[in-house]
Amino acid sequence: MLDWSEPAATSHHVPQARAGIIPSDPEAGSGLGSIDRHAGRVRVDDKAMINARADVNQLLPLKYSWAWEKYLSGCNNHWMPTEVSMQADIALWKSRDGLTEDERRMVKRNLGFFAASESLVANNIVLAIYRHLTNPECRQYLLRQAFEEAVHTHTFQYIVESLGLDEGELFNMYREVPSITDKAAWALAYTQHLDDPSFKTGTHEADQAFVRDLIAFYVVFEGMWFYTGFAQILSLGRRNKMVGIAEQYQYILRDESIHMNFGIDVINQIKVENPHIWSAAFQEEVREMLRNAAELEASYGRDTMPTGVLGLNAKLCEQYMHFIANRRCAQLGLKPVFAETENPFPWMSEAMDLKKEKNFFETRVIEYQNGGALSWD
Amino acid sequence: MELKVARRVRAVDLWRRMLTMLFETGHPWVTFKDPCNIRSPQQHCGVVHSSNLCTEITLNTSDNEVAVCNLGSVNLAAHVTEKGLDRHHLARTVKTAMRMLDNVIDINFYTITEARRSNLRHRPVGLGLMGYQDALHMLRIPVASAEAVAFADASMEAISYETISASVDLAEERGRYASFEGSLWSRGILPIDSIALLADARGEYLRMDASVTLDWDGLRERVQTSGMRNSNVMAIAPTATISNICGVAQSIEPAFRNLYVKANMSGDFTVVNPFLVADLKARGLWDEVMISDLKYFDGSLGAIDRVPDDLKALYATAFEIDAHWLVEAGSRRQKWIDQAQSLNLYIAAPNGRTLDALYRLAWERGLKTTYYLRSQSATHVEKSTLKGTDGKLNAVSNGGGMLSAPTSAEAMAGKACSIDDPTCEACQ
Repeated sequence: MLDWSEPAATSHHVPQARAGIIPSDPEAGSGLGSIDRHAGRVRVDDKAMINARADVNQLLPLKYSWAWEKYLSGCNNHWMPTEVSMQADIALWKSRDGLTEDERRMVKRNLGFFAASESLVANNIVLAIYRHLTNPECRQYLLRQAFEEAVHTHTFQYIVESLGLDEGELFNMYREVPSITDKAAWALAYTQHLDDPSFKTGTHEADQAFVRDLIAFYVVFEGMWFYTGFAQILSLGRRNKMVGIAEQYQYILRDESIHMNFGIDVINQIKVENPHIWSAAFQEEVREMLRNAAELEASYGRDTMPTGVLGLNAKLCEQYMHFIANRRCAQLGLKPVFAETENPFPWMSEAMDLKKEKNFFETRVIEYQNGGALSWD
Repeated sequence: MELKVARRVRAVDLWRRMLTMLFETGHPWVTFKDPCNIRSPQQHCGVVHSSNLCTEITLNTSDNEVAVCNLGSVNLAAHVTEKGLDRHHLARTVKTAMRMLDNVIDINFYTITEARRSNLRHRPVGLGLMGYQDALHMLRIPVASAEAVAFADASMEAISYETISASVDLAEERGRYASFEGSLWSRGILPIDSIALLADARGEYLRMDASVTLDWDGLRERVQTSGMRNSNVMAIAPTATISNICGVAQSIEPAFRNLYVKANMSGDFTVVNPFLVADLKARGLWDEVMISDLKYFDGSLGAIDRVPDDLKALYATAFEIDAHWLVEAGSRRQKWIDQAQSLNLYIAAPNGRTLDALYRLAWERGLKTTYYLRSQSATHVEKSTLKGTDGKLNAVSNGGGMLSAPTSAEAMAGKACSIDDPTCEACQ
């Protein structure tokens, strides 16, 4: 693996002029500003998460090696949905008694939620976050993440096609099923705010708005709402139902784990560099966001599982969401929003936490990396 | 059929490409055709063109003959006490197993005539073993040790001796197999003797132990006078499913992890190492925190401070040990086997040179085949059932000191570089 651990050492060799910046250029932070022919080289100290003075088009020298590491991990985790066989899922879906009506409703709404959500997340990265995150190594990760969102959307296309589902029904659920629409609308408002051409970070209010968007997507969308969805499918997979989709969700979960933790690292790094943003009032506001998000999720749970399925019901999912929300609070350094609770699904230990030993002749073993990670030194 | 040259590539490039693919996917299995043939008892009547999928079967194939092998595995854990291998018990089990395997040849349903023809003519079977790791645990021998290599040697010598004896017994009772004349057996060349043939062919490129402890002269004579009932008698299969049913570790595999999930077509099954649990209980270390730590560290003890070093060595898992120990033990088994073994190898850190050295060692130690190369994914998912958060995937502090990952995890992450802090010494 590449070793990039000494960014500071290289900066001794570059001219000591300040980095190339044109404060008057409105596009300075985006990377689209005019090229300054006389500016000095970028010094690592000039790099910043938001409102950077440094040229955002220069990846090196690296300042945030964690962002680069996550980019490399993302690349090494590469997968494609078509590698997973859907044979068993198709047989089960088409057999009359393969799934109960409740299970079918849950699967369809689950797919409907994810199918549109992956697009909403991708839009937010490309149209809102990328523009305002003024650090090239973080942007490098965002580009990787954007591609992964495309792979995930591809997954839902592949599932729809394999199972012969009504694509119109599925891809319109985010408009037509109120419990899904409520979540999508809640998150979309944050993207819309940042996509306004006149929106620009650099003021206290705007910087807070940017962090709010990061929280809405990385912490709430990818860090909370996806998790009920994962639980639903993994719970079926555990009972040997829809095992192909369950395997795809395990890949997605592996990707999403890095997405969310990248987002949380970004938020915490912005806090370090801009402590004024993280005021007591703002912390309360963020906690309120997480509380609302958990409530929206609880209604989604009731809607997708009105009477529950074997091993899973809306009430347990609500408890699970409280557990997850408290975790996210801890990761952000906030006080928990709910009373202390345990994960109500101990079987997740088996489905997610422990390393799996699989038989190669039965499935594709996911415990591999891309060959580019192999070092010959 | 004459093969045309389609493209020329440098051997080193091809070798690198093979190793890279192995690292990426676990395939292709590297098998060595020369020892498969040079040490084959049936080299007088055909060629070993390839192994089977699991790389333990090395039999002749041709237009007329499709190789079939009936496999069985001795549960080694059931034949070991703290004092060592129970030779008497083992001899009884092997005798029964060989009779059963020989019966299968006649009872079996053959879907194609080529398979029926080859099986009835040569009557090959493959007796192997499972529960090797359990046996080592019972003897309290770490898998990465010279003692384990010696145990692999001694236990395989015993199995080999009993297996060949049993086939001779069956030959006396039921008659020798049809193509016996001209085989290495008929020439008095047992598996242990055929190492010399390979050494002749390889020159200096064979470093394989050939010492013996049992009365092989007596058995060699019986093989030549009474003949063998079966052309081949030994092969070590992966036992991926039956070992789970028996509740022992697979085949000759080291412990995958001390806590992990076995995933197969029937579902997911949590597996915990019962020997470890008993040892931890005996030392008063088996509690909630230990279970959490085991989960957090993916079933390995290495990073758990309060586990004593002797237990860490005894319960080192497949990815923690140096894979060369597995090759060394494999070489000692291959001494005694007329077919081959499903030998998986493991690599924790992605390094091409290590892989190159490992597979060249396998060749030099006279292995016939290797099976999957298992490696690990770049990252894992957030652990869902731990108390507090799983801090493994976060690099930036939340500022509030509320991350609750175990302290040993923080130590593993190393010092973070704080470029904005002039007193930071991370890069000095």
